[in-house]
Amino acid sequence: MTIIKSFPLIGVLILFLIAFIMPLIKKNSVVKFLSIASFSTCLVLFVVSLNYVIHNGSYFYKIGHFVAPYGIEFSIGIIECIMAVLFAFISLIISWYSCYSIEHDVNESKVPLYYLLINILVGSLLGIIFSNDMFNVYVFIEISNLASCGIVVVKDKKENIRAGIKYLILSCLGSGLVLMGIAFLYSMTGHLNMTFIHENLINSYMNYPQAIIITLGLFTVGIGVKSALFPLHTWLPDAHSNAPTSSSAMLSSLVLKAYIIFLIKVLYRVMGNEIISETPILFVLLALGSLGMIMGSVLAIFQKNLKRIIAYSSVAQIGYIYFAIGLGTELGFVIAIYHIIGHAITKSALFLCSGSIIEKTGIKEIANLKGVGKEMPYTLSLFLISSLSLVGIPLLPGFVSKWYLAIESIGVNKLYLIVIILVSSLLNAVYYLPISIHGFFNEEQSSSKLYKSKEKSVKELMPITILVIAMLYVGVNSEGIINLIKTTFV
Amino acid sequence: MKDKILNTVGKNLIPFIQIFGLYVIFHGHLSPGGGFAGGTIIGVSFILYRIIFGKEFVQNKLRFSLLIRFLTIGVFIYGVMKGYIFISGGSDLHWATPPLGIPGSIISGGFLLPLNIIVGTVVSVTMYFFYCLFEEGEI
Repeated sequence: MTIIKSFPLIGVLILFLIAFIMPLIKKNSVVKFLSIASFSTCLVLFVVSLNYVIHNGSYFYKIGHFVAPYGIEFSIGIIECIMAVLFAFISLIISWYSCYSIEHDVNESKVPLYYLLINILVGSLLGIIFSNDMFNVYVFIEISNLASCGIVVVKDKKENIRAGIKYLILSCLGSGLVLMGIAFLYSMTGHLNMTFIHENLINSYMNYPQAIIITLGLFTVGIGVKSALFPLHTWLPDAHSNAPTSSSAMLSSLVLKAYIIFLIKVLYRVMGNEIISETPILFVLLALGSLGMIMGSVLAIFQKNLKRIIAYSSVAQIGYIYFAIGLGTELGFVIAIYHIIGHAITKSALFLCSGSIIEKTGIKEIANLKGVGKEMPYTLSLFLISSLSLVGIPLLPGFVSKWYLAIESIGVNKLYLIVIILVSSLLNAVYYLPISIHGFFNEEQSSSKLYKSKEKSVKELMPITILVIAMLYVGVNSEGIINLIKTTFV
Repeated sequence: MKDKILNTVGKNLIPFIQIFGLYVIFHGHLSPGGGFAGGTIIGVSFILYRIIFGKEFVQNKLRFSLLIRFLTIGVFIYGVMKGYIFISGGSDLHWATPPLGIPGSIISGGFLLPLNIIVGTVVSVTMYFFYCLFEEGEI
């Protein structure tokens, strides 16, 4: 069937097309239905194409009538399809959750605009993942940049606009650096298609020893700003903690990940192992990743606001992903992808839980949230399970990736890296567990509170429950997922 | 505004600007220009119209809700057309396309003319919206 090959393109198109119907519709409930319908259609399409790719191997899909160096290509492989399924699934769940709570954060008249931005954002992120053309990726990066700033400032409060402007300026800087990197590659090779750049570069990279390092530096810093690599993360806590709940879940679990996938593509598809092994880029990523793992957690300990804690924890978890890339081995790469999956699901569940706690109680500081477990027992239990995953309790995805990272650190003969992983896990426990412990077991505060008085209804808790079940599945079935990712190397 | 000279000049000038914009859009596939250039020209005529005849008068003629409808439907049709071509080309399906026509005549070039018209609509509305956004702060 040839039409199955075009399913990824159809998915991206559906998201963009349905986005532009939304402003025409007066009723907000219809807009919400359209958003959910588009994401579920995408999920079905991507599951079918994942199945197709597993059985028939990866392929290049030309967009329009022109073949590769002249036209644009999508490259569709197993990793791209796994990421697409993940993105469609998480955005489906988040938009389902936001159906019940978006009016709490966003003005009623802006709801169609909000869902338009969400659809465009997810569409452009899928574009970044699928595209095999550097400039096409840049265009999608710019779209996602504007859309993600849009879903931060849509709340229309003072601190939102400040965080949004900060985010806009820094991520424009990031995309400028990426564009400069693309320009370097273009002037070295004369191509924009990743496959052709690689073929050209592999023959001629000896002639440009400095330019290669500069290009890699530009890409690392540019994408590092956008994906909150440790010293460049300063915009993240403001933007993620002030945005509406569903936006912060979307930003933290999806937007950061798409840029990391692009960096992986630059490192392995454009440059290739041979070139990057001659530059210190992997060591830099490893060092910055380790710094982020420690410092992100240390900074999170000092925060008082619940959402800011989770936002800083994102910095630490992004550190894990860069750490895994920086190991530079096959298993390290696999774990980077696996951690992207695990963290995306876990972090969106955490943000949705904390959003519902803040929405129902109206309290943002953790000091005042003691005893909340009596009022909202189910929500806090879901929060506890997801935070246990990030701390690294067996069976949950956080543990699996930490375990393999430790094994791989022994494999590359860098035993001191295990210390960093252990310290980071302990620091995670230091700031995540007290929230749940104080929430459940605080006698003085909870005696004055009514049992389940502020609990959300079952249908509002369903999206978070499904996320937690998915997280358990990813943790328990880690063997299968890791083997599936490994098949890309054969 | 009450200024008679401005009113008369505006009344006479704006239709010509719009006709020139339409000319550029409709000859986009034959000569320099195209949807974007023509769209900016028409957008400029809208802005001039608003400056000369005042905010309240123009707001009734060019209602935002109507313009937004043009904008979104335009983008939607553009997406559908381009998606149709992308999928037909990418999967080698060879679905039907509009005839290419005689080179040099206005109705030729397959999808180029309708795409140019849509780009022109969207760009002109967007230009006008930008002006209104800077003038009023919110649409």
